[in-house]
Amino acid sequence: MNNVYIPITVDHIARVEGKGGVEILVGDDGVKEVRLNIIEGPRFFEAITLGKKLDEALAVYPRICSFCSAAHKLTAVEAAEKAIGFTPREEIQALREVLYIGDMIESHALHLYLLVLPDYLGYSGPLHMVDEYKKEIGIALDLKNLGSWIMEVLGSRAIHQENVVFGGFGKLPGKATLELMKKRLQEALPKAEYTFELFSKLEQYKEVEGPITHLAVKPRGDVYGIYGDYISASDGNEFPSEDYKEHIKEFVVEHSFAKHSHYHGKPFMVGAISRVVNNWKLLYGKAKELYESHRNLLRPTNPFANNLAQALELVYFAERAIDLIDEALAKWPIRPRDEVEIKDGFGVSTTEAPRGILIYALEVKDGKVAYADIITPTAFNLAMMEQHVRMMAEKHYKDEPERLKYLAEMVVRAYDPCISCSVHVAKL
Amino acid sequence: MRRKAKIGFYALTSCYGCQLQFAMIDELVQALEKIGIECWFMLERNSDENAQVDIALIEGSVSTEEEVELVKKIRENAKIVVAVGSCAVQGGVQSWEKDKPLEELWKTVYGDGKVKFKPKMAEPVENYIKVDYRIYGCPPEKKDFIYALGTLLIDSWPEDIDYPVCLECRLKGNPCVLIEKGEPCLGPITRAGCDARCPSYGIACIGCRGAIGYDVAWFDSLARTFREKGLTKEEILERMKIFNAHNPKLEEMVEKVFQGVEE
Repeated sequence: MNNVYIPITVDHIARVEGKGGVEILVGDDGVKEVRLNIIEGPRFFEAITLGKKLDEALAVYPRICSFCSAAHKLTAVEAAEKAIGFTPREEIQALREVLYIGDMIESHALHLYLLVLPDYLGYSGPLHMVDEYKKEIGIALDLKNLGSWIMEVLGSRAIHQENVVFGGFGKLPGKATLELMKKRLQEALPKAEYTFELFSKLEQYKEVEGPITHLAVKPRGDVYGIYGDYISASDGNEFPSEDYKEHIKEFVVEHSFAKHSHYHGKPFMVGAISRVVNNWKLLYGKAKELYESHRNLLRPTNPFANNLAQALELVYFAERAIDLIDEALAKWPIRPRDEVEIKDGFGVSTTEAPRGILIYALEVKDGKVAYADIITPTAFNLAMMEQHVRMMAEKHYKDEPERLKYLAEMVVRAYDPCISCSVHVAKL
Repeated sequence: MRRKAKIGFYALTSCYGCQLQFAMIDELVQALEKIGIECWFMLERNSDENAQVDIALIEGSVSTEEEVELVKKIRENAKIVVAVGSCAVQGGVQSWEKDKPLEELWKTVYGDGKVKFKPKMAEPVENYIKVDYRIYGCPPEKKDFIYALGTLLIDSWPEDIDYPVCLECRLKGNPCVLIEKGEPCLGPITRAGCDARCPSYGIACIGCRGAIGYDVAWFDSLARTFREKGLTKEEILERMKIFNAHNPKLEEMVEKVFQGVEE
């Protein structure tokens, strides 16, 4: 007997960054295939920046993605600085991390309230929630605006910051502005905690419960954070960032302009939950308390825990940014920029973007980009995401197609994919 | 428009930054009394790509064959089409190497891998359909959206910007990045409206709002100044092309400056 398979398709997944779809082939005997179609066109970032002046390439890379443009800028700049053998002063490094945290706060707030929450409250989008959920929308806007404002002050604008240059910053804000930033972060803390409480009550679907291998950057200085020189895996393995190609293999799949990745031959996950799973011991303050009281919900075995992990990070990073600003203020006045001699060399930077590990490997020759390899968190996650959508589909393939589509989309949204980022990954 | 205006926000190939900027406008919540969102996948699950709309906002470059069909469909369904941001208006940074064969770029990034969708070299939306208004920038400023939509919603028509970043930069009293710091600032040829954002941070403009229209972008004068500062023709073209690779005047005007000059 021939099996007849019916495709259940979402052409364009709503409320994610970028353009992707889901296709689930269903027959009487179950789910035959699950594909995440990545249909956004390729932009060839590594190819078009080859042979270009370093500063111009560094202006172009953040355009890979708007939701994490500061992450791209800061990671690219660090890779370039490592390549030319320059290390920024501690206070510059601290302020760059504050800028990165601005991106983290904005991105998490946007994802949690505007992209995820409508599913749980029964809305098709956040604009319909305005009347009924004034408080939540208000908190969403406040947190998002705080993140944008931090990026504007330190980065020149909320999207595609130009103020970060090799050697430091173009211009730094005054002391009073940094004091104000601390105050605003302090005021945001109760809102971040409210977010955590809210998201701790939301269902984490048991259909997708199962073992997951998590990869995250091992933070420098033994403090939970963004920058690091090693990658740790939840299987206990740890390796220097520049060896990433020995452990993570990428390959082209025909239904996606974004490549897929495997760690030691298997799909894996990166993102807020992976950071929490691998680095929770390095948390401190209120976030540490919340982690300890909600450990069972921040578990390594469910992708939906990523939402709550982001909420936890809203609390953590608001507190962390205050400490980093204090570190910088202790060295006041700060010279924004050092003279940098552009030498030849090769550098790899790995950081934790809002959605997980971001890798930039750059080779500089005669002041120009001689080699570029950029790997983004969503590209890492695609294989695992497909597996989790499949687990969901296997439990629900007999349901109404609309219900199946909805649940499949929710799995994808939990990963907070950044599809624009994922499309273009290169190996030269 | 007395009834609620129907709006669609559509994405082609881009970083989603224009939509993100639009979503970050707090006044959007107030505008909901005046507008109805028919299609905006980034924030709304009940989005219909085939809906008739009053105003279609399009972000992104046309980078796949599928997107060619999409822009044609949007044009048929919309009264006013607005190209939003440097990708939709000028083809975006992904057009930087538009003269290299697509196969070469493909091979660099994907090797021998095959994908079932059909990619093409990035192009501005206007290469395929008539565009009624343009919002510039990478990303556009929030006020660009507020001005354009605010004007269109009262049945009027927004003005275009036809003067360079330098004008706003001088008004702000910034030291000149080009003359005083000697850096290759693209302010003189770039459309204003950003309030000289980057030069105000001491950073040279990279031209993200694109060259001024109406044939008043003097690529040649600026190329001459750059040449005097020691930049080669290739370096000048590369810099000016980051956001202007599709500009029909750029190459010939820069070439002119280097005619008869030995490098």
